[in-house]
Amino acid sequence: MTGTQPSTPDGMTSDFAAGSSRRTGGANPLFSGRTIGLVISAGILFAILGARSSSFLSPYTMEVLSRQIAIFALIALSQAVCLVVGGMNLSVGAIASIATVVLGLCMQNLHLPGLLAVPVVLVAGALAGFLNGFLITRLKIDSFIVTLSMMFVYMGLRSGISGGAPYALPDSFTFVGQKSLCGVPYALLLMVVVLALMSFVFRNTVFGRRLLATGGNADAARLSGVSTDAMIVWANVLSGFFAGLAAILWASKLGTAAPETGDGWLVVSFAVAIIGGTGLTGGVISVVGIFMGAVIFMLIKHGLVEVRANDYYANSFLGALVLLAIIVDRAREVYDARRKAATQRAR
Amino acid sequence: MDNVSLAFAAGEIHALVGENGAGKSTAIKIITGIYQPDSGEILYEGRPLHFQNYHESLKAGIDIVNQEIQLIPDSSIAENIMLDKMITRGKTGIINWKAVHEAARKYMEMVGLPLPSTTPMRHLSAAHKQLTQIAKALAANARVLLLDEPTSSLTQHEAENLFRILRGLRGSGATIIFVSHKFEEVFALCDRVSVLRDGRCVGTRSIQGLASDELVQMMIGRECKDTHLGTLDVDRGKEVLRVENLCRAEKANDISFTLYEGEILGFYGLVGSGRTEVARLIIGEDHPDSGSIHVRGRKARIHSVADSLYRYRLGYVTENRKEEGLLLKSSVQTNITITVWQRMVNRVTRRINPVREAETAERMVGDLAIKTPGLGERTENLSGGNQQKVSIGKWLAADCDILIIDEPTVGVDVGAKEQIHRLIWDLAKKRRKSIVLISSDMPEIIKVASRILVFREQRIVGELTGVDDAGKTYEEVSSAIGQFLA
Repeated sequence: MTGTQPSTPDGMTSDFAAGSSRRTGGANPLFSGRTIGLVISAGILFAILGARSSSFLSPYTMEVLSRQIAIFALIALSQAVCLVVGGMNLSVGAIASIATVVLGLCMQNLHLPGLLAVPVVLVAGALAGFLNGFLITRLKIDSFIVTLSMMFVYMGLRSGISGGAPYALPDSFTFVGQKSLCGVPYALLLMVVVLALMSFVFRNTVFGRRLLATGGNADAARLSGVSTDAMIVWANVLSGFFAGLAAILWASKLGTAAPETGDGWLVVSFAVAIIGGTGLTGGVISVVGIFMGAVIFMLIKHGLVEVRANDYYANSFLGALVLLAIIVDRAREVYDARRKAATQRAR
Repeated sequence: MDNVSLAFAAGEIHALVGENGAGKSTAIKIITGIYQPDSGEILYEGRPLHFQNYHESLKAGIDIVNQEIQLIPDSSIAENIMLDKMITRGKTGIINWKAVHEAARKYMEMVGLPLPSTTPMRHLSAAHKQLTQIAKALAANARVLLLDEPTSSLTQHEAENLFRILRGLRGSGATIIFVSHKFEEVFALCDRVSVLRDGRCVGTRSIQGLASDELVQMMIGRECKDTHLGTLDVDRGKEVLRVENLCRAEKANDISFTLYEGEILGFYGLVGSGRTEVARLIIGEDHPDSGSIHVRGRKARIHSVADSLYRYRLGYVTENRKEEGLLLKSSVQTNITITVWQRMVNRVTRRINPVREAETAERMVGDLAIKTPGLGERTENLSGGNQQKVSIGKWLAADCDILIIDEPTVGVDVGAKEQIHRLIWDLAKKRRKSIVLISSDMPEIIKVASRILVFREQRIVGELTGVDDAGKTYEEVSSAIGQFLA
């Protein structure tokens, strides 16, 4: 009876019930039913776009799109690590903007080499996240309120410090954001490494499993010996770190450190994370889902340009898309619950 | 709930009794439209009722008084009582506050609520909140009043006051349905009693001429005398947990006790008497104002559950397993191994060894006879009894040898209850665990514990030793507990 392989609804998500799979020979499914649905949707979008325009399939377009996808995925990851512990981070974009300003200061004003500036920027992002987490846990204020307020604090700081003008970056800094390895952009490779690492963390490490437990039920986790406050702080630190990383990629892609970086990232962070299957109530994340979410988000954005949709309406489409993703998930839940009730009655 | 027929008369106080999980609360929720029945109907004064929700039942004159129906904490007593029937000046929609307060005071007088009608709800005691609910029901002109465990958080004196008011309401022709598992109350207050067991109605009897024994037998379906599990081997020489003069404002008042190896120490008392509060002070979930805790003879510094678990191997099985005990959406395996992940980590890769994790979970599933389709099953799909075993297993997996187990059989069916009692007893007898068992179920605590501390109003008011002696009868122990509480 006990030898059965854990049948978590989503092997990759929620609970990872890793474990016994190896012994029973089965592997942990990296792709859940939901993620496969995302892959199919992405495939359909891809086929449509490819059929409509021959330039879509050109290596150039692919490179451009995949750079964008890498950045979207990191932005979403920044949101997802907060969602996972049952919170949220409305200051994802604001942290990115302050990180961009720090980057500009380091490189233009202090003339630091890139190898030194990058760690400084990442630490700055992590610190901003730490401040969020500290306020949430110490003052016991909802993450919504804290990160909403801090969003304005960070945005004010970036405008005040930068005065709104972009910082110049040396040409060498565009290496990661603009160059490719055998046709695969470095940005995409970086994203794959980061996502793979986070996948490992959530599946196989105590830290990741405790983050998930905190989001699943903070009271139960705490009463099982998990330091949930520490987990919430760490989630926010990671969130700030990833926002900083995304900001660096963005600057590297643009070739300048523009202080308005991060404006509009909030919508992206929620949209990609939610489409990717990150639970809004915590405890559920799918790293592969986040990547697929970024792909779908990018394809739809690109498609809107292709069909020459009025760009002024773009946000409305994207908002509706997020809503659709939530409705589909909700419908799945209701359907599952009904099916479960039906089988129970049958017994 | 299975094929239950109940009849309530006007002008009576009708008790609904049964063990935890027998279906009392479900019955009440169906009557008031909070739940919908799969089949069957409810007749009120001969007419069938079809409530879609609680509001409709309220309009028909049926109201429920319990802890779940929330009053608005920042509004005054008067506003809460008159909430859906505010008196306005003509048709202007402007509230006539003077008239509202006057009307509210009339109902407050009827229930004997001695406070200004402007007092905000949040300043009221549990007893006064309950009286406000009753006043609100009266204002709604309710003719049928359902009270779900109304005395669970009341002192003796407050409960008596409540009974006086209920008797008065009965005199005026109201029907009162009184859910309780306290026999004294049922016999003191009610006219008739219906017994539910495992979702069925066992019978309805008149209180007059009914013996207490008979009622118990109806409730649990067996003689309560054969419930003795046997004598434990307590090693009085080995103290594992000693608490001295533990104090915390409004939660614990000068609590001192010692737990010995192999002992099951019962904490008996009503909800809110301070038992759970003391447990939470010990495990570091809450922090005492003064007093000290000694684990295995050494003074303990416990700041969090992580401390009590990892430094002192002291585990706490929570009373609300669904809210606080389990990650319901996660697998059985995760819920068992959450306490031991960090022991299974590869030093270099930081990876939790999946084989060891599965083995640990499997061992617990086997040891505790947890019925689950697999280790990966979501915990929410398990029955109450098996969920409870999972939440005990988590601490056993971490080798905790001091366990505080809080209300382990609430919402668990009778068969599983038996198993859990046996399991707890075996842990002490065969595996030399030392256990604090918190319960407000008297038969349970007498059956399982070897020594009982009686809690009342955040104090320990009595101690009973040798509860597990073969010669001790149930009546002896229960009447002794009753005396401490009186």
